[in-house]
Amino acid sequence: MKKLITLSVNSLEHELAVEANVSLADVLRYQLGLTGTKKGCGIGDCGACTVLMDGVPVFSCLVLAVEAQGFDILTIEGVAEGSELHPVQKAFVEVGAIQCGFCTPGMVLNALALLDKNPDPSEADVRLALSGNLCRCTGYQKIVEAVLTAAKDMMKEEAQPEEAK
Amino acid sequence: MSIPPFEVLQPESLQEACELLGKHSSEGAAVLAGGTDILVDIRRPIIPEHLPRCSGCDPKTLMPRKAVEKPPAYMVALSRIPDLSGISEAKNGDISIGSMTTITQICESQLVREKLTALAEGGDNLGSPLVRNRGTLGGNICNARPAADALVPSVALGAQLELQSVNETRIVSVSDFVTGPGRTIRKADEVLSKVIFPALPEMSGSSCIKLANRKALEISVVNVAAVLTLDKAGKISQAKVALGSVAPTPVLAEKAAASLIGEKPSDDLFKEAGKTAAGECKPITDHRGSALYRVDMVGILVKNALQKALERAR
Repeated sequence: MKKLITLSVNSLEHELAVEANVSLADVLRYQLGLTGTKKGCGIGDCGACTVLMDGVPVFSCLVLAVEAQGFDILTIEGVAEGSELHPVQKAFVEVGAIQCGFCTPGMVLNALALLDKNPDPSEADVRLALSGNLCRCTGYQKIVEAVLTAAKDMMKEEAQPEEAK
Repeated sequence: MSIPPFEVLQPESLQEACELLGKHSSEGAAVLAGGTDILVDIRRPIIPEHLPRCSGCDPKTLMPRKAVEKPPAYMVALSRIPDLSGISEAKNGDISIGSMTTITQICESQLVREKLTALAEGGDNLGSPLVRNRGTLGGNICNARPAADALVPSVALGAQLELQSVNETRIVSVSDFVTGPGRTIRKADEVLSKVIFPALPEMSGSSCIKLANRKALEISVVNVAAVLTLDKAGKISQAKVALGSVAPTPVLAEKAAASLIGEKPSDDLFKEAGKTAAGECKPITDHRGSALYRVDMVGILVKNALQKALERAR
């Protein structure tokens, strides 16, 4: 039996009818067309399906859609502001942290949550925060560099006086 | 790779959850906490069996991965029940943790890190950050895996579990609760509501060490938790040692703990306690490690865990 739910995704409210056993990842991809959220293993190992629920990174493949009601869900589609990339996304591009790109949405969202909690992380902090996100291209070095670069860029931006922005 | 069909029930009180679990027990009703285990376990495994990881492993001992024979028809979600998550300290020093408290909340709690260090350290090594953000203490305990990263320190810390059913509230010790891999004495209509850690005396310290092949997303080869209390003369007055991944359930190494009481802590004493603990476990050989290796590692990890607990007790 389908249940009627309201999901708040990237600041938009969606009224949806979903089966009880459907994961948040499936609803995002197949009902809302937000295919930036990737499905890798489907069992909470790879982190490709990472989204933020109230700012906390979770595996959307292991969250039932009906259990995601009442949370503010952020997917990779909601990270950039219009055509202006988020500093974390910019850093991924500039440093060359994207190879095949499949893990990138999860990596970026996890990095976002980390920098929100800890704006000046050490390399060890970054590696720990990303330890649940696998990159099959094994491009971890560049990904860690990108997050550290983004942290520096964001702190510089913060430090700038308002009118100079 | 989709999840088998079931209905989700989202009760708003503990009483209602117990009633629903009782009502649907004949059709199969499972409790849904964080979902990081159950939503994986009810799917058909992608890889039907484990591959040997070390050359010494006997291929005949490979463990086939069995899917749950009959997935539950109902999932009773605890997410909407108020007051099931949170950490609080009673006046007598007991620390009570709601069953729906996430592992991340536990690891980030200063109170837990200071007073239940072993639990925080166990939590640090559980799954990956994403698992810890959803996975709960209650889920880890009720899932009752012999290697469970939050269960093993809970056994060493003497955790008491509050189980609620429709008509009754009972308190059982976590060591009595777990009866086998994935098996507990929880009745069909019972919900674990909170976990109570009895206050440790002054001059106590605890630690938890995990031996695994990777730092994240890994199941222990062996995990050990130790709790020590010193008296005024600097001798050991209380000790507990729990071993994980070396038997069908976490094991309390009682002989090893007894050998420490009344003694002055020393490296030699801890080494001997490690040897005693190694004799108290019965590990199997599987793709993670051989039984012999595990027994050897118990000896070393118990010694190390006791040393760490001692540093904190002083």
